[in-house]
Amino acid sequence: MPQYKIDKSRVIGPPIAPLPPAPSIYGVDPKYVKKRASELPNMVSIKISELFPDIPKPLWPPPNPKAIRDATEEALENVDMSPIKGARSVNILGSHHGFTILGGEPYAEMLKTIKDVIERKTGVTNIRLKVGVGLRHRESEEYIKRFKLDEYFNGKAYGISPLDPGVPIETEIGTFYGLRAAYDADKIVHAHNTDVREVHFHRHVDRAFKPFGMSYARLETRSAYHHNLGPRGANFVARAIFNSKFVQDKWAFSVFLRASPVGILGVYADNDLDRLDRRIIVDNLRYYGKVMRLLSKIDECIVVLDYRTPIPYTFSGGVIFANFTGLNIDLFDLDNPLPPYTWYTEAYYDEKDRPLIPEVPPVNPAIKVIVINYAWGGYPSVFWSKMFPVIVVTKEQADVYNRDPQNIEFMKHAVIAEDLETAMEFAYKIGKTDKVIVFDGVYGAINMSKSLAEYLVEKAPEVDEEVEKKLMPKWLKQRGIPPEEVLCK
Amino acid sequence: MAKTDYSKCVKCGLCWSICPTEAISWTPGEYPKIDPNTCMGCGACYERCPNYAITMERLPEPKIVRVDVSKVDFKKVEEICRNAGFHPEQIICFCTGTRAKEVAAAIILGAKTPEEISRMTGVRTGCKVECIQPILRLLRAVGIEPKPKPGRHAWYGICPTVFEIPKKVREKYRARGFYFDEDEMLLKKLTRGEAKV
Ligand code: SF4
Ligand code: SF4
Repeated sequence: MPQYKIDKSRVIGPPIAPLPPAPSIYGVDPKYVKKRASELPNMVSIKISELFPDIPKPLWPPPNPKAIRDATEEALENVDMSPIKGARSVNILGSHHGFTILGGEPYAEMLKTIKDVIERKTGVTNIRLKVGVGLRHRESEEYIKRFKLDEYFNGKAYGISPLDPGVPIETEIGTFYGLRAAYDADKIVHAHNTDVREVHFHRHVDRAFKPFGMSYARLETRSAYHHNLGPRGANFVARAIFNSKFVQDKWAFSVFLRASPVGILGVYADNDLDRLDRRIIVDNLRYYGKVMRLLSKIDECIVVLDYRTPIPYTFSGGVIFANFTGLNIDLFDLDNPLPPYTWYTEAYYDEKDRPLIPEVPPVNPAIKVIVINYAWGGYPSVFWSKMFPVIVVTKEQADVYNRDPQNIEFMKHAVIAEDLETAMEFAYKIGKTDKVIVFDGVYGAINMSKSLAEYLVEKAPEVDEEVEKKLMPKWLKQRGIPPEEVLCK
Repeated sequence: MAKTDYSKCVKCGLCWSICPTEAISWTPGEYPKIDPNTCMGCGACYERCPNYAITMERLPEPKIVRVDVSKVDFKKVEEICRNAGFHPEQIICFCTGTRAKEVAAAIILGAKTPEEISRMTGVRTGCKVECIQPILRLLRAVGIEPKPKPGRHAWYGICPTVFEIPKKVREKYRARGFYFDEDEMLLKKLTRGEAKV
């Protein structure tokens, strides 16, 4: 039985304006993004905190750099900084991903605060910021410039890429390769965020460790993650590297921006990454789990992508589009070997796009059409244009993919519309639905059509109960956490 | 393809050291030279040059690079792929859509290094990151274990696979949610002949 009733008049409100497009070598010039999906007629937003009242109130939004600074200071109070005392150098290791959340300002503020606290508490001044990337090798350099981190770190803020020189790291299963620039200090601080993001890759097993196998890793290591270890074991690459003597000798502590579908909830910091990972598992399975299960109830929709990240990383209610592509199955359930989208799955389609083994699940059948109003290149995305009808808004946006070496065939399978209105007109015709969901990076609410909002909000109480009573116990057990320790409801 | 602006270039050679197709020639103290016929437009040099000295220009006509798998014995292709732990039809480079069978065919036709394979098939000229392990594993399947050229860091070496994870490691981490045995079974089902070709 549903535990609470939804008051539609409190949940459904006007659409929320997303962040403006940002200039980047990976995206279209912002001047070509003339209209946002949230400005379309019949658009509304649903408030996540009204749907799932147990998600705590966020520190951000609305923007509040002081709250982030205070939360970081407070979290660092309980961290033992003695490993850093006397060090000649400290590398604060970050990832581009933190900058994709709410435009990046909260993450930038956390990074600055970490530097200040280390300096104050340990007296060490040779503190460098090293920010890893995904597959857009200059992306972190762009963020460093945008947030003036180079000045803040006295000229010692660097974007690091998997193409940069490496260092071999011996682990309990063999040799992997880290980035030399990440580890060229006496001590390292792991500065990340708790956003679930790529559940299809890490399956939320040791999620807090992932950058050791990605942002701080060389290309060989990342390739092993996606081709050598398997769809559920991939993130062990990160765990193995973290456990190595090489990393442990440099390890100081970790600081995580605590992300959720409603925004930034606070900051976690710990010397013990395992302990921090357990906290993240419980938070994320509960908060992201609910929003993801809610989105899985959508029966049919047109998806509009409208954010300053590559196609799979556009967000809606904190959930990335890559996960929505696979929400027809439970991505947290480790009994499911292959998510509908992950690189292991993409690899297992033949030339005629037929699965090579029956274990390959179909993509989310609720997605009828994808309209790309604004999304970057710099991630191999042809999977989406092959699997779904895709309409790209403007020739300039299409050119982003045409000139992108990672998307050489993307536009072969997509069509171009002159403007957003024309794209939507066509999408309604071929999608045969008026339900629209927008992935535009808004937190705390999800922009969607009124028809979808009316359909979806009713389902929140049953989703809440399903997650708390049925799914959480299973998900936790699969990750070695006794449910009775954390489920007190 | 890539173009160098020599007014910005400081002759550091970094572009030479990462180019996946070895399209750039360089000796210390000299300017790098890009061979337009070998450049695949991957953008590695453009994205990593510390002085922003490289720009990308569109070719008047697209360049198509491909090995014709029908020109080689498919039984041999299958054998190489299976020994490397891949299904011949599976994609190994998500950017170019290149399948294991095409890399195997390039090896049969004489490719002995990742760079030669990139020049013949186009793999590793998209993201430059994700497909190095399949390439090295496919080469190892025919007994070729290339060494990186001194000074270059386009790739270092092969990394572990699920097939080699020791029993005690599997047992130690199982309760955390690492399902190595099941994943291994899935990959074997795909690669050891149970999946359709
Ligand atoms: S990386 Fe840039 S600066 Fe260095 S040699 Fe190449 S073009 Fe010149
Ligand atoms: S193949 Fe790539 S790295 Fe080599 S010259 Fe061309 S763009 Fe630069």
